[in-house]
Amino acid sequence: MNRSSRQITRSLFALLMAMPSGFLPVHASELVPTELATGVTRFALDTGSLAPIIDLVPQLKGDSADYLRARTLLSIGQRQKAKALFERVFAGEVHRAEAALELARLAEASDERKSAVDWYQEASRVGFGELRQQAMLGLADLEREQSRADRAGQYLASMEDGYWAAVGYMNLAANFASEDLNPSRALVALRVAMAMAGQDQDQSRSRDLLDQLYLRAGYLSVRNEEYDKAIDFLEKVSLESYYTPQALYLHGLALAEKGNHRAAMQSWHRAKKFPLAFPGVTDAWLGMGRGYDLAGYPGQAGEAWLAANAAYEGERVTLDKLAQRVHQEGAYKALVEDARGADTQWFLADSRTLTQPRLAYLLRFLEGAGAQLAVRRVARLDDLTRTLSAHQHDLDVFIQALSANLASAGQAGGPGPGALADQHSQLKSALAQLRSQVASPEQAGKLGNLEQLLQASNKRLTSLDQKVAALPDVLNAQLAEARELRAGVARLQTQVSQARVLASTMLDKQVLAFVVTEQQRMVHALDKTEQQIAHLYEYLALETIGEGAR
Amino acid sequence: MFGTQKSKHCRISPWNRGIQVSGMVAALVVTSAAGASLDEEIDRLTAEVSRHSASVHSLEQQLLHPVNTRVAVFLTLQNHQALDLDSVELFVNDQPVASHLYSATERASLEQGGVQQLFVGNMADGSHQLKTVINARAANRRFVRRELVHRFQKRPGTLRLQMTLDARAPDYEPEVTFVEWN
Repeated sequence: MNRSSRQITRSLFALLMAMPSGFLPVHASELVPTELATGVTRFALDTGSLAPIIDLVPQLKGDSADYLRARTLLSIGQRQKAKALFERVFAGEVHRAEAALELARLAEASDERKSAVDWYQEASRVGFGELRQQAMLGLADLEREQSRADRAGQYLASMEDGYWAAVGYMNLAANFASEDLNPSRALVALRVAMAMAGQDQDQSRSRDLLDQLYLRAGYLSVRNEEYDKAIDFLEKVSLESYYTPQALYLHGLALAEKGNHRAAMQSWHRAKKFPLAFPGVTDAWLGMGRGYDLAGYPGQAGEAWLAANAAYEGERVTLDKLAQRVHQEGAYKALVEDARGADTQWFLADSRTLTQPRLAYLLRFLEGAGAQLAVRRVARLDDLTRTLSAHQHDLDVFIQALSANLASAGQAGGPGPGALADQHSQLKSALAQLRSQVASPEQAGKLGNLEQLLQASNKRLTSLDQKVAALPDVLNAQLAEARELRAGVARLQTQVSQARVLASTMLDKQVLAFVVTEQQRMVHALDKTEQQIAHLYEYLALETIGEGAR
Repeated sequence: MFGTQKSKHCRISPWNRGIQVSGMVAALVVTSAAGASLDEEIDRLTAEVSRHSASVHSLEQQLLHPVNTRVAVFLTLQNHQALDLDSVELFVNDQPVASHLYSATERASLEQGGVQQLFVGNMADGSHQLKTVINARAANRRFVRRELVHRFQKRPGTLRLQMTLDARAPDYEPEVTFVEWN
């Protein structure tokens, strides 16, 4: 065992050292059979409930032990120690690809690009299935970020059809779209991505990705004035998707460019049902007026623009209120917690997601990686706060119960040990008598069970005196430990609360900046409708003058 | 409207703009540095709270489930493709003791060899009955709900019961086997 591995083992055992020292702790290993320990740890790691397995992890045996230990360390924030252990796992025989993939992600998170490339390459070399595909996507993305689209394309070409290759081609298409004036290359990449996504076995994941791909392809086609192609792509976007409002707006735009204003307005009318936070919805409101105008109904156009104006004004009020609430209650409460709304029935949950303005703003805000990080920080700290409060309550109950037990120790009710010993000898002789009268194997079996039970209870009875004598010491040790842990809760609560204030301030700043951007977007939309209304009034005034002159 | 117009001076002089841009970059760097140190602090607190949780859990186990009367039930899947588990209900001597509705993550973990600790409780020595109600979707797209009963003897010491769920083609009828670990 080398120095670093000894250090890791020590740090894992340090988790155990935090256990109560005054009495023998009940280890999870006593509860979990050795044969099931690996599986129990894996399930706990996958589902995020680490507390019951922390003392089980150092005692894991078998091929997966080190890998699961490394994952545990990573889950509790010990990145450096997890890294060293993942390296050891990679040098071993099993879980090599998983370890290499984790190491690549750790390197990427610390901006160590060369190391990330090396680990992704190792993961793709030793891994297979989804692991290899994820490693290849990692390599392609690193090349793409360096604007080496051809190298990224080579990696993607060597991937199998499916979700990960589709994501890779979608990212590549985004690069082509931002670099090229002509969208041909991007559209080809998107078509490949669509074919790859169609091969994904996970239906919901595939559907979501395809919606995104059709929207992107539709947008590029509209920009390239290929309206039929755009309509074809956009009609494939699901009507229950996060991308629906934007797809409906673009669909209407393509139809309007083809001169089919009536159909365009039908699409925009559907887009208007979504909150203004989603991209394309403000434009759909504007488009309605324009549609009426071009179809030769100036009166209706004026009404549509006035309605759009009122909607934008209303949205500005909503945004002002949101900013006020962020100042008063903090962004996490105003935007994240309250957006959940516990009063909606589960069967409305899906449609609610896309129709509630605050939830729509939350979804838009969370599109940014920085925003996700800021929200995750506060959520993690709130999770720690909840855990500590639950521990505080449990420990208070334990301290109360242990104090009561200590006061009544040795004052047990019911028959004394002597009476119980008499009962035991009576039962024993009764069973012995019955044994001589046994007529069938079934009766013999039942009698055998009873004898075993009686034997076990006698064993416990004989050791009772010893246990009773040790009880006050055990209870005192447990009480001291519970008090020590209770004091630890208070200390940790203070630290978590300080970090929460800092994380919350950072999130507030980001949310307020987002709200200001959204307000500016509404002001811009208002300017546009007011311009349209002014033009319309000007036109109507000129028409009236012309009629008067005639 | 679009005729010749007077040229307009820049609202912000290039010199000031440079200062503003460098100021914004500096603010960004400071913010990301503050974020990174906060992340480290959160990682440290997470480790400490995890350790603390393990201690509280250990104390709780000792106080609530004394070794001699303790019973634990574990769930594993034998055939990873055969059943999509929706829920499991557990009854000891006809009393409901545990029920679990599975999320996609939990299902995936069980399919990859994860073992769920479904129930930990106390029982007196003697004969007991464990009834489990399985709700699942079988590989042949049928919804199945089955009740399975297992009788066992509780003796002094911790009793660990492993419940293994299986279903085989062509009818994918759920079967549960029990293994007792003493």
